[in-house]
Amino acid sequence: MSTEPISILIVEDEPEFRRRFTQIIESEPSMRLVGVASNKRDAQSLIEREEFDVLLIDLGLPDGNGTELIRAVSQRRPDTDIMVVTVFGDEQHVVSAIEAGATGYILKDSTPADVISCIKLLRAGGSPVSPVVARSVLRAIRNRMGGTSTRSPTAPENNPLSARETEILQLLAKGMSFNEIGEILGISPHTVTAHIKKIYRKLAVHSRGEAVYEATQMGLLRG
Amino acid sequence: MRTVRILRIPTAALMAAVFLASLAVLPARADPLAVVDWAQTAPAAPPAANAQWTTLDLPLRWTAAEESSLQGVALRLRFRLSAQPTDAWALLLTLATNGGRVSVNDRVIGEIRMADEATDVRWRRPHLLAIDPSVLKAGDNVILMQTTYRGGVHALAGVEVGPLSTLSERYERQFFLSSTLPWIGGTLAALLALIFGVLWLRRRETTLGLLTLSALLWVARSLFLVIETVPLDARLWMQTLFYSSTGIFAAVMTTALLRLAGRDVRRDFWLPLAYGALGPILLVATSGFAAPYLDQWWLPGLILIAGTALFYAVLSRVRQHERLQIVVVGAIAITIGAAIHDYAVVEGWLPQAKSLALHWAGPLLLVALAAPLVDRFMGVLRDAELARSDLETRVREREQLLKRNYERLRESERVQATAAERTRIMQDMHDGLGSQLLSSLMLVERGALSQHQVAQILRESIDDMRLAIDALAQGNTDLLAALGNLRYRMEPRFRASGIELTWDARGLPEELNINPDAVLPILRIVQEALTNALKHSHARAVSVVLTVDPADDGPWLQVRVTDNGRGIAGERVGGRGLLNMRTRAGKIGAQLKLESVPGAGTRVRLTYRLEPYHSGVTRGQTQLGMNTEAIIERFRQL
Repeated sequence: MSTEPISILIVEDEPEFRRRFTQIIESEPSMRLVGVASNKRDAQSLIEREEFDVLLIDLGLPDGNGTELIRAVSQRRPDTDIMVVTVFGDEQHVVSAIEAGATGYILKDSTPADVISCIKLLRAGGSPVSPVVARSVLRAIRNRMGGTSTRSPTAPENNPLSARETEILQLLAKGMSFNEIGEILGISPHTVTAHIKKIYRKLAVHSRGEAVYEATQMGLLRG
Repeated sequence: MRTVRILRIPTAALMAAVFLASLAVLPARADPLAVVDWAQTAPAAPPAANAQWTTLDLPLRWTAAEESSLQGVALRLRFRLSAQPTDAWALLLTLATNGGRVSVNDRVIGEIRMADEATDVRWRRPHLLAIDPSVLKAGDNVILMQTTYRGGVHALAGVEVGPLSTLSERYERQFFLSSTLPWIGGTLAALLALIFGVLWLRRRETTLGLLTLSALLWVARSLFLVIETVPLDARLWMQTLFYSSTGIFAAVMTTALLRLAGRDVRRDFWLPLAYGALGPILLVATSGFAAPYLDQWWLPGLILIAGTALFYAVLSRVRQHERLQIVVVGAIAITIGAAIHDYAVVEGWLPQAKSLALHWAGPLLLVALAAPLVDRFMGVLRDAELARSDLETRVREREQLLKRNYERLRESERVQATAAERTRIMQDMHDGLGSQLLSSLMLVERGALSQHQVAQILRESIDDMRLAIDALAQGNTDLLAALGNLRYRMEPRFRASGIELTWDARGLPEELNINPDAVLPILRIVQEALTNALKHSHARAVSVVLTVDPADDGPWLQVRVTDNGRGIAGERVGGRGLLNMRTRAGKIGAQLKLESVPGAGTRVRLTYRLEPYHSGVTRGQTQLGMNTEAIIERFRQL
């Protein structure tokens, strides 16, 4: 791992949490705060101007939805890790953020230690996931494969997940920890989180393809 | 429209008939010979030198008694030529029933088969014999016919001499009228008999049966007409065939007319049938002797009977303006007219006539009789098509209705599910978060809480809220993932307290079908048990084991929370937290067991029976979907 500090950009509209996250990052020697934005417009100019490794972003911004920012960053800078800040870690917020390109999420009231370890996990190539989100991701993939959607192909080979990845998601959905899953599958907990990150990326790529398809159908894109 | 189209067939046939009839009565262009000399001879022998010649008028018609043996006759005709012709000439015998050996000026020009010891002949076709011009001479020329005859009616008519080119044209036309036409009529009748017969075999209807019978009778009658040479043995049977077919055909037609006239056919049928059968019976009884008398007296009787029936039919039908039946009546009338015409011809009252009208009138009648049948068939076909399209429309309407009802049902199911969810949330907030926040507010206002205690209460409140959100987040309430989330969130706190939390969910299936009302209470009970272990047990390790055990009365969900702490002291067993757990378990019909050994640990065991539950919208949807399909399918099959 490089000795360079991890550079971080924060986009959060609530002052209390903005202060809290700023404090957490600034008191961590291995991390460096690049900038802080409290709305979408400021965030956009920061994103265009600054170089950063991790984007810490709240979805509900006063002048728009953070999902668009996530999509823009993940497409322009695939190396960047995007971490969504959420109150509940609920399906609706997290899965749509993952589909936009986020690779992690964290609860707003997480302890400083949790925030730091989560960022480190992301930079180390892993992703955290809760059982409810794992279940939601499974469901989202299943729906993509056919189920409700009639326009996407239903052939099993179109399932973007490997058998191992599906198995990991299923174990996670039952509430097993990374360590326990690692023991069951005979892999390290780190590999488990790496799998999760891969799953997130696949979901994002898959949903992006679908978004392009839909946009073409609606005549928004040409060619 | 339909009626008009069907009328075209008989109309066209009528026009053709009128055309043919006009051909038949066209006057001959060259004068036929007017007289013939008659001399009796030995059969097929030349007249003796001293033969007695009698001069008779043409057309010649003579009758011999039935029992008479083979007779010979010589017929001599004369014609004058102003000069010897140079081109080919011919002799046309329009009707020479007996055939014979023909010579001109003692030169034989042809021999037409005549009756001999074994065979009888009755030529109905014309004959054309070519004459070499060298045989002819200016002045008187003599034609000699030597022929034979037996009992019955014989005739010689339309004898003409002239250029071959002129006569051959007239010969062709006559051949068509007296030979081809009966063939066509017979063939047509056979075809109709086949069609009606097949239909009759499928549907035993009286009308179809009578039509088949009529067509078959006409075939038999035509057979008699087109067979011109008959072995002597078969002569009587051929005649019987002719008379019976004619008689019964007339009887059937009379019956048809009576039916059309609305008469009781069963009663009136016997008279025409008896009369129709009388002729052939008399013929057989008299071994053919009665034939000429039948021709003269019995045949007009048939015409009379049919004519009477026709009178009734016309009277009743024309008044009702039923066009197709008028066509039928008209065709029968034409047939009766044709029969009268033919009778007159045979009786020799119409010397100009060259052909029998029944040749074309009969088949025409059969076609006309079929018209109402075709009409009815088309009507049935149209009705069936209408009924089918009507049924299809109704099925489609019903399908739409079912679909609408189904949508409405789904909508109301959705509303119900939402309402149930809202009720669950309200209940949970009322019992949990609401009460907790309110009581905390009281304490804070009284200044009875430290900052640390306030933070803890708020944290617990947030935990409660998250639990509710986890339970509701999954649309159709996924207990397993919500339980997993509980662990996921509590684990850091256990870690911070130095307690090892193990979680065994391997005994759980991928999906759990559970009543949504039970999800939150179960989560709350487990949460309470974990919180107790965390706060009060002083344990070093806590384990949670989740299993679904199959049993005879359905699967049971079992959650065991075990710690190795100090156990629950007697006075705390009735504590508020435990009371809450019991109340919640009671409400959903779950069993809660608490085992506590002081100093060794505590075990909370929750068992809940998983009754087969059809989770609201999604499951109901498929079931109703199948039902709708089934209903539509059944409706289609009706």
